[in-house]
Amino acid sequence: MTTVDPTATMRRAPFPIFGKVFTDSWRSLIGWGLGLAAASALYLPLFPSMSGDAAMQDLINSLPPELTRTINYDQIGTGAGYAQATLFGLIGFLLMSIAAISWGASALGGDEESGQLELTLAHGVTRVEVAVQRFLAMAVKILTLAGLTFVLVWALNGPSELDIEPQNLFGTSVLFGGLILFTGSVAILCGALTGRRVWAIAGGAAVAVIGYVFNAIGNQSPDLEWLHALSPYSWAFGANPMTSGADWGMVAVFYGLSLLLGAVTALVLRQRDIGV
Amino acid sequence: MSHVGTAEAPQGRGVASVADPDAAIEAVDLVKKFGTSLALAGVSFSVPRGSVFGVIGPNGAGKTTTMRALLDIIRVTSGRATVLGTDSRNAGPELRRRIGYLPGELILEGRTSGRRLLKHYVDISGPVPRGKIDELAERFGLDLDRPVRKLSKGNKQKLGIVQAFMHQPELLVLDEPTSGLDPLMQQEFLGLVSEAREAGQTVFLSSHVISEIQQAADVVAILRGGKIVTIASVEELRQSAIRHLRMMVTGVSPAELRALLAPLDGVGNLECTRNSAGTTEATATLGGEIRPFIQAISTLALTDLVLEEPDLEESVLRLYTVPNAAGPNGDVS
Repeated sequence: MTTVDPTATMRRAPFPIFGKVFTDSWRSLIGWGLGLAAASALYLPLFPSMSGDAAMQDLINSLPPELTRTINYDQIGTGAGYAQATLFGLIGFLLMSIAAISWGASALGGDEESGQLELTLAHGVTRVEVAVQRFLAMAVKILTLAGLTFVLVWALNGPSELDIEPQNLFGTSVLFGGLILFTGSVAILCGALTGRRVWAIAGGAAVAVIGYVFNAIGNQSPDLEWLHALSPYSWAFGANPMTSGADWGMVAVFYGLSLLLGAVTALVLRQRDIGV
Repeated sequence: MSHVGTAEAPQGRGVASVADPDAAIEAVDLVKKFGTSLALAGVSFSVPRGSVFGVIGPNGAGKTTTMRALLDIIRVTSGRATVLGTDSRNAGPELRRRIGYLPGELILEGRTSGRRLLKHYVDISGPVPRGKIDELAERFGLDLDRPVRKLSKGNKQKLGIVQAFMHQPELLVLDEPTSGLDPLMQQEFLGLVSEAREAGQTVFLSSHVISEIQQAADVVAILRGGKIVTIASVEELRQSAIRHLRMMVTGVSPAELRALLAPLDGVGNLECTRNSAGTTEATATLGGEIRPFIQAISTLALTDLVLEEPDLEESVLRLYTVPNAAGPNGDVS
């Protein structure tokens, strides 16, 4: 038989809700990191062959201009424009949006839907603590991946002859992280509002997809440029931060809005009946 | 008759017209609406400290809703509940550290082992004595090193029981605690409950198995349609429960026997027949006290009398289904 010592109690970890997110999902964090690394290693080294090669330029010129504007390939003449269009604006944006939406959706909505949030809340934690720590855990994961993207591009900058200004790369990575954090924050809030994973995914996906689509349509003609104002994607990349530097006011908007959404998430969760 | 309180007649015991400061749970007129449906329609009860209080009722009666309201997982539409002296609504984490909760639909997922999952609950529960988790796991034969998602329903339930009991809380709120457990483990669990009571802990548990409540609880509340139909001690329930009786009599006709028995209080389903051997046979159900019945039949020439052990299950089931059931004491027709 095991002996129970009534005087000695088990040690308790600080910030248990925050820590649990990482013990549960470190595999997924590594997986998304590997995905980003693979995408960077595939795309960026192609730049020298694309910029130097007249045939490649001809190919891009022969594409319908609507298409090149849609996928932002009108910028790929420079290393900075190429990295922004291919990695930050397309494949990296896609990977990171999916990661952030799935983390945001499972943080509260998915956890409530599965019935596990009920048991957590029956213990010695407040709902605000749970919401805030899970929001912060999601933010840390997103910023880790944004930081990884910065490191990857920075490491490939020389070998791939991209010629990107490091401070512009840094600013773009911060903006990129802010855009993705905003998407994830909408997902976590929608999950807290509804208690359903699917609505959380829908909310986050709406920000990512509508943002991308409005940017693409807005690129097509000056008459449609007003759509850029409704596109978080365009707020981040419309001013070509890789070439001309990040707008730090916009950085503040993304992080400020995300924190606001995190605070609203905590208040919403505090009011609701859980698991009904 | 028996001392029962009902939601409609708040003069009975257990109904909180006067707040009892020593009660572990004091629920007063809890009402919960989900949209237009009424899940709790004014539930009042009081659970004294150190007692085991059982709730039984059909599905959708409001057992789980009541428990969730006590844990502040849902908020009642009106009414209030005091748990361990603290208003349960928006209660801080300090209160929930003193409570152990086992949800009715326990869902545990993930790659992590049972041990790591319990470690997480240690981080957010009241202080857990060293070795307590292993002691409980050994007792239930639970392997703590297997991934949680690979555990059977019964083993997940054991994990749920361990997390509810491990910090030796003052109050245990257990929703269908034995579901998924095999009979041996159910007995082990009931042993755990009686030890908790001996240690001064209060247990509030629900079940659909009446025998289990009968074995574990001091007081039983029967819940139906969001209302408490009755609150009674197990002994009172047993006294008021329905007994089946069968008797053989010589020297009286079936009609005479019927005339004698039918007017008695608590006699129902009476059938009197003449059998082939020339004796008169009567079968009936008997609720309430048996003395008037015994006195009535004392003059008869009995050849056989069978009075069965009161069937608690049947009397409870009757309360589930009879409209406007007022109590277990046989005054419901």
